[in-house]
Amino acid sequence: MDGIELEILWSNLISTVSDQARALQRIAFSPIVREAGDLATALFDRQGRMVAQAVTGTPGHINSLAAAGQHFVQRFPPDTLSPGDVLITNDPWLSAGHFFDITIMTPVFRGARCIGFFGSTIHHTDIGGYGVGAGARDVHEEGLWIPLAKLHEAGRPNELLHDIIRRNVRTPDHVMGDLSAQIAAGRVGAERLNALCDRAGLADIESLSDNVLRRSEEATRNSIRALPAGTWHGESTFDVPGGTRITLKAAVTVDNVAGELTIDFAGSSPEAPIGINVVLNYTAAYANFAVRASLDPDLPNNWGSLRPVRVIAPEGSIVNCRYPAPVNARHVVGMYVPFPILKALAHILPDRVPAEGSGAVWTIQIQGRDEADRPFTSSMFNYSGGMGARRMKPGLSATCYPTGVAAVPVEVLEAAMPILFTRKELRRGSGGAGAQPGGDGQCIGYRLLTASPWLLNAVASRTDLGPDGLDGGGGGAPGRFLINGAPVNEARKMLMQPTDEVLMETPGGGGYGSAGETP
Amino acid sequence: MGQETQGHSLAVDIGGTFTDVVLRLADGRCFTDKTLTTHRDLAEGFFRAVELALGRAGLAAGAVDGVLVHATTLVTNAVIERRGPRTAFITTEGFADVLLIRNEHRYDMFDPLIEFPPPLMGPADTFTLRERMLADGTVMTAPDLEAAAALGLRLAREGFAAAAICFINGYRNGAHEVAVRDAMRALAPSLSVSISSEVSPQIREWPRASTTAINAYTQPIVQPYLAGLAEGLATRGFPHAPLIMLSNGGVVGTPTAGRLPVRMIESGPAAGALAAAHLSHVLGLPKLLSFDMGGTTAKACLILDSAPLISGEFEVDRRYRYKPGSGFPLTIPSIDMIEIGSGGGSIAHVDGLGLLKVGPKSAGSEPGPVCYGRGGAQPTVTDADVVLGLLDPARFLGGDMALDADAARAALGALGARLGVDALGAARGVYQVVCEQMAAAARAHATDRGVDWRGLPMLAFGGAGPVHAARVAELLDCRQVVFPAMASVLSAFGTLVSPVRLDLARSALARLDGLDWDAVQALIGAMRAEGEAALAEAGVAPGAAQFDLAADARYVGQQNEVTFDVAALDATTIRAAFESAYHALYGLTLPDVAVEMVSWRIVARGPEPRGAAVPPPAGGSVAPRAHRMVGLDGAAEWPVFDRAALPVGARIAGPAIVEERETTIVLPRGWNATVHASGAVVGERA
Repeated sequence: MDGIELEILWSNLISTVSDQARALQRIAFSPIVREAGDLATALFDRQGRMVAQAVTGTPGHINSLAAAGQHFVQRFPPDTLSPGDVLITNDPWLSAGHFFDITIMTPVFRGARCIGFFGSTIHHTDIGGYGVGAGARDVHEEGLWIPLAKLHEAGRPNELLHDIIRRNVRTPDHVMGDLSAQIAAGRVGAERLNALCDRAGLADIESLSDNVLRRSEEATRNSIRALPAGTWHGESTFDVPGGTRITLKAAVTVDNVAGELTIDFAGSSPEAPIGINVVLNYTAAYANFAVRASLDPDLPNNWGSLRPVRVIAPEGSIVNCRYPAPVNARHVVGMYVPFPILKALAHILPDRVPAEGSGAVWTIQIQGRDEADRPFTSSMFNYSGGMGARRMKPGLSATCYPTGVAAVPVEVLEAAMPILFTRKELRRGSGGAGAQPGGDGQCIGYRLLTASPWLLNAVASRTDLGPDGLDGGGGGAPGRFLINGAPVNEARKMLMQPTDEVLMETPGGGGYGSAGETP
Repeated sequence: MGQETQGHSLAVDIGGTFTDVVLRLADGRCFTDKTLTTHRDLAEGFFRAVELALGRAGLAAGAVDGVLVHATTLVTNAVIERRGPRTAFITTEGFADVLLIRNEHRYDMFDPLIEFPPPLMGPADTFTLRERMLADGTVMTAPDLEAAAALGLRLAREGFAAAAICFINGYRNGAHEVAVRDAMRALAPSLSVSISSEVSPQIREWPRASTTAINAYTQPIVQPYLAGLAEGLATRGFPHAPLIMLSNGGVVGTPTAGRLPVRMIESGPAAGALAAAHLSHVLGLPKLLSFDMGGTTAKACLILDSAPLISGEFEVDRRYRYKPGSGFPLTIPSIDMIEIGSGGGSIAHVDGLGLLKVGPKSAGSEPGPVCYGRGGAQPTVTDADVVLGLLDPARFLGGDMALDADAARAALGALGARLGVDALGAARGVYQVVCEQMAAAARAHATDRGVDWRGLPMLAFGGAGPVHAARVAELLDCRQVVFPAMASVLSAFGTLVSPVRLDLARSALARLDGLDWDAVQALIGAMRAEGEAALAEAGVAPGAAQFDLAADARYVGQQNEVTFDVAALDATTIRAAFESAYHALYGLTLPDVAVEMVSWRIVARGPEPRGAAVPPPAGGSVAPRAHRMVGLDGAAEWPVFDRAALPVGARIAGPAIVEERETTIVLPRGWNATVHASGAVVGERA
């Protein structure tokens, strides 16, 4: 297969998964999916190797789906499947790291033979248990655990499993609606793959997949081979709700002969007693994000390109947690995973690596009663701080990084629930000083128009330790989370009074280079 | 009189390079011309073009008794080149940075070096006032009008020419914006003020603020320009005031256009789509994929029921030209088009994986493709077309510009060496890859809109469109491609077949099952009144106005809306229409979930212009002018025809080449073509 034919077939595979990802994102009930693109879609071959993946909004999903593919084919070998089968799981350790993320795999049949799978993961509106937040003490408190299973068998729904899901979530219509959308996406993805095989005269995608994966692996190895050999270290410390400080250490080793990169998180903090623990899949997903952004954003994302990057972490550490550690809010730590890696890579790729940024977005969910005393639960919404400066450019203010979440507009939130925003402005001067200054965080003030007490479920981080600057740049200001002017630091839902006012000041990003010097 | 086309009508389209003019006489004959756009004073080129056309036809200005329609890039250029005057942005206290904070999103997940365009109004030009409207439209804090008046004075004193006002929840109740504007203008009458509740009363503060900001910023340029044009036309004796093309593919009078200049932003491309819609009507092909491929980009637009699809959103000044999210969002109705970085100048290269890639980097017109001989060294799509024999190096642009085929072959040879093929193999690869890209973009565009792309006929134009259309058509299972006549002035022609039209939208979030129908009726009534006034201004008789009602809705809990037509104001009809549109897009419906109305939309339009048929070209022989070697699928001699020499009804069997001055039609093996009475060449696949 030459570089012309392969380009044509490959780009067709990618548009198949991308089209379905866009459709899923538009119709999802889950706010984190539609605003943040917190979903993934991918095509797998018969061996469960991920061949093509849509570029979506969050690094955490990109690539954790790749691991799931392998587990599905081990449990359900392709030749044991029938047309009309649909597979499901939300096992945190086998897929995307917490119960909210449900993965659906649809086998693609060409005639009577399964030639691959169309997979999608989306973050659902609810999964029972604790709900949004980090407050559970073990994973079982966090909701419904769906093992690797068949949601449909030969076109017939698995009624028992459907009933179990319906009975165990708070928003059954939305969860079933989003599952239907995932199944529809799998059906359309399978049709598109068959149409491509028809156009190109392919009986299956085995040889195409081999070519795609081999070239992706080689290109990734080549870009690693361009780096100097050696081991570099990076370390990032930040505080999480409740005040605990977490340290992540990364040792990045470049083998520029084999073209391999090893990222070792030895020395990182141990598992936490609250639901901020990260499974290794999810750690690897964010680690690969840092690698790809630094090496070459144009590298593909598939089983082949993931092979040369090895991510290891001690079992029982916060970035490789064991059953039954709670994992619900694993993004709080996961979104910091890139930073120690970037700090290590700054030694060899100073032009491509930003200074430390504010890190995890701050998430908020509100439950209460409106003026007519009707109960409501808001969807989760989020705000970002400042990005770290780049060597030749300042950091972006109030911009989400490393994840790709959009903020829900003030007007949309005010129309949806009795919330009143008093401020949403940049927090000037919060970005670190430097030859290139860090991006500023922002100040968000709000209260509720209600006569009843309400519950605030907010996850803030870096309210104690701001991000570091790079190469002599100043650090960004830590965030501030205030209720009626007094700082709070709480990992659990808080009971609020009707007149309480909340002010959230998100952290600024780190600066790059000493202030006063021109880069 | 509106858009009656019984008399002699004139259209002028000012583009980035050329100002095109079409004069259509009552008997259907057309006179077209082109002149260079005069960027310093657009009116100069406008009147030069008008005089050229009148001169050709031997007509006096007073004889232009039909319509006089105008499309222009004035607004887009003012934004991209930052040519507007100093403009203030005024918002609610506490929300000063709404233009800077955007939606906090990065448009590229992996690239750490991205940037956003700096807002047209920075912090130094941003002011806040204490006031607050609640989400249900009730007042929490009334604005301090003395402070507003003082701000107006200050702005005038400091040399601001314009101001944009966008208050939180102003989409729901614009009373504070109106009061502040009036207070400011009482003391600063020269200040031109745009308010969000008039420019774009839709929920979501950032896109609304961005739209209002651009409206305010361009108004001081557009209003005097339009006034000058109207005056110049009147002085020269033209009987009618001009009509202005908007992005939605409709025309309005100059007062409405001057009040809402942001609506003119895609004026030219909208006119092109309108021409496509008109041709779809003339040719009896109500569904059509319009495909326009030029030097740097390709644009595709879906025509359904002989009308282009309209979208409620647009983005201008994209930092990374083709990346959605890298520009300023605009919530204006505009022709729904996809634009990708595949054009004749797109550069081909081999990437790190050994794959042949084309674009989005373009050689543009300077230095241009290698074959232009102006210093371009990287092989482009046009170079591949020359090597394949699709373009005749001696007859490019009618022979005005000789192409260096040897240089093109050498560049493609070097590219091929990296792929293990010769120059011809590389050229075939470039041709295939660029066609695949365009087909993929068209599929994605159609799929996203719930339209089945398979088999849609295509309309191909633009310099590179007809060269690649047949192959793109094959990839889209399409059997018919139309190559229109007058392709080079298609946009100008399009304005002549545009109805008078104003699209209006207002947000009013409410569940369908508990809708306050009186409030909905009042809102629709207000939009109708605004539409009626704009139509009257453009000369549409009150009885001739039509109003189409549509709505945006979603299932409760979703965030993105689906737009659908509303035939009657009752919950059952609306739910059914919503679910049918939703099913078309996503292949499912959710009968158990409640529906939420987000916005109401009205299209106010005058009668469809009665388009006279485009006159047929002069007759001639159908013998080929020449033969040449073409290497598209194995090397073979293909016959070459002159388009100008083809009579109506002439039939050509592929493989064949049909040449005209600005483009070349490629009819591969398996295709046949007929010359239609409209002058269009219609290609069909056996």
